[in-house]
Amino acid sequence: MRRKGIKGETIVLYGSGGLIVAFLLLPLVLPFVLSVSDTPFVVFPPKGFTLQWYAKVLADPDFTGSFSFSVVLSLCAAFGAVVLGVPTAVGLVRLRFRGRKLVQALVLSPLIFPTLVTGIALLRLFLSLGSSNAFTNLIIGHVLVTTPFVVRTVSASLLLVDPGLEEAARTLGATRFVAFWRVTRPQIVGGLVAGALFAFVTSFDNYAISMWLFDAGHVPLPMMMTSLISRMFDPGIAAIAALMILFSLVMVILLERLAGLRRVLSV
Amino acid sequence: MLTPQTSPPASRSGVVIARPDPREPRAAQWRLWLASARNSLPAIGLLGPATVFFTVLFAIPVALMIRYSFLTQSPDGTITGGLTGAHYARLVNVDLYRHVLFATLRISLFTTLGTAILAYPLAILIARGPAFLGRLLTVLVIAPLLVNVVVRAYGWRVILANGKSGVLNWALAKLGLGSVHLLYTEWAIIIGSVQVFLPMMVLPLSTAIGRIDRAVEDAARTLGASAFEVFRRVTLPLSVPGLGVGCTLVFSLTASSFILPSLLGGDFTKMLGTLVEEQILSVFDWPFGSAIATVMVVIVLAVNIGASAFFERRTRTRAMEAS
Repeated sequence: MRRKGIKGETIVLYGSGGLIVAFLLLPLVLPFVLSVSDTPFVVFPPKGFTLQWYAKVLADPDFTGSFSFSVVLSLCAAFGAVVLGVPTAVGLVRLRFRGRKLVQALVLSPLIFPTLVTGIALLRLFLSLGSSNAFTNLIIGHVLVTTPFVVRTVSASLLLVDPGLEEAARTLGATRFVAFWRVTRPQIVGGLVAGALFAFVTSFDNYAISMWLFDAGHVPLPMMMTSLISRMFDPGIAAIAALMILFSLVMVILLERLAGLRRVLSV
Repeated sequence: MLTPQTSPPASRSGVVIARPDPREPRAAQWRLWLASARNSLPAIGLLGPATVFFTVLFAIPVALMIRYSFLTQSPDGTITGGLTGAHYARLVNVDLYRHVLFATLRISLFTTLGTAILAYPLAILIARGPAFLGRLLTVLVIAPLLVNVVVRAYGWRVILANGKSGVLNWALAKLGLGSVHLLYTEWAIIIGSVQVFLPMMVLPLSTAIGRIDRAVEDAARTLGASAFEVFRRVTLPLSVPGLGVGCTLVFSLTASSFILPSLLGGDFTKMLGTLVEEQILSVFDWPFGSAIATVMVVIVLAVNIGASAFFERRTRTRAMEAS
């Protein structure tokens, strides 16, 4: 390496990097700034300081109801995705049979298929079948779009497991299931947790499926937020946005601690 | 076709070939079939549920929706058979809808270009900067991905708001510059989409740059290339695989997005996503809505297939030139 002090190109690189990060974070910092304004409307720059909007929002049944509904929905979706996704990953990684590629393509295709269109196709199906239970419909839709993530993360950790270990256990007398449970399962738990958490987060943030399937009695948080944007003009809306960002921050920390962010995204 | 009748005598040239028992092939077939059934049991047990789930709730509904786009709906809402391409023709022939189609392609293209330009500095810093900075930047780039798009769109609404209330206009006024009118224009959607989809470009790009052998860049530098030339002639061409993945992702996601055009484009600037929502949930025109949705699928598939063909060929020719 040449040592000539700080070079011009380094300044350009770091400077532009800093500006781009600022651009990336700007809309995530702004709601916090707006939410403490002691004014009846959202104003910039904020005037005064108050936390009354947080108190107001946390007592608003529209917000708290949607929040808890979204949590329940996402837990169901993550559970369904794990139940459906883990055996699928095991089968796709461990078995060799004709049509394997086809099954793999089928199960992973919701990842590249436009989610908005998946939602339309589901709505059409549910209308044709007369299935009007919004909660069930939402769970099915969310399991559909979150299962591929579990399949991906669990497959990735399965590929790192040495199949010889499981064979050794079977040679020593363990049944196929016991060998899997006591030898392979502990090694793929990381991938499973990563997949389940990511399924939860994806479901919690999902808009493109929910927008077609929700009804007045089952409103996920993103839909509630959209409707509040058009009818709530006080800083309470900024407080809601700030609370949702805090929630995401908790999820980011959990994901990074438990699984590693890059691994979850498989990039 | 070889049949038992045409087979040569078994004992020609003195070699005795045991004639198979006529019942044998059947029994063998059965044994084979049983064995294969036993072998396929784990496959059915492990993959059966997901295969059924994704076939019944994904593949079939999508096929039915595509079929719907060729049917006719009478004013009272009943669907009649008889296949027609009229809905596709309407999307292209009616000025309003064609405008939406082109706006979608234009916005997706500009968003892809914008993310590619902004992604390089970050990707280079992640791949080549100090390790702690790379980790920090990775978290900072991924974290916004997990924040709801509605929340991010809300942030942009406040920043880009027209008139004096917008943060951007406030800043411009402080600097003594004029005001801009951005919210509810294509530019608002592009700016919001660039921010929302930037991580999808940075991550594959930083992976690709991380795979480039540092020795190649060092060699170019030793031979007298300036930092910009190293980037243009070494880093940029060798990062093309990552760029291809990123462009495909960003273009597909922008072209099929709903919430960003809905909150940042409003009623004034529509994209296919907002048009399809309006046609299905407000107008209840299912065949036309299905046709728009099908066009979105075609765009996304075309970009995916086209990009992988294009970037793969490029990578291959490069590899051949290099060898």
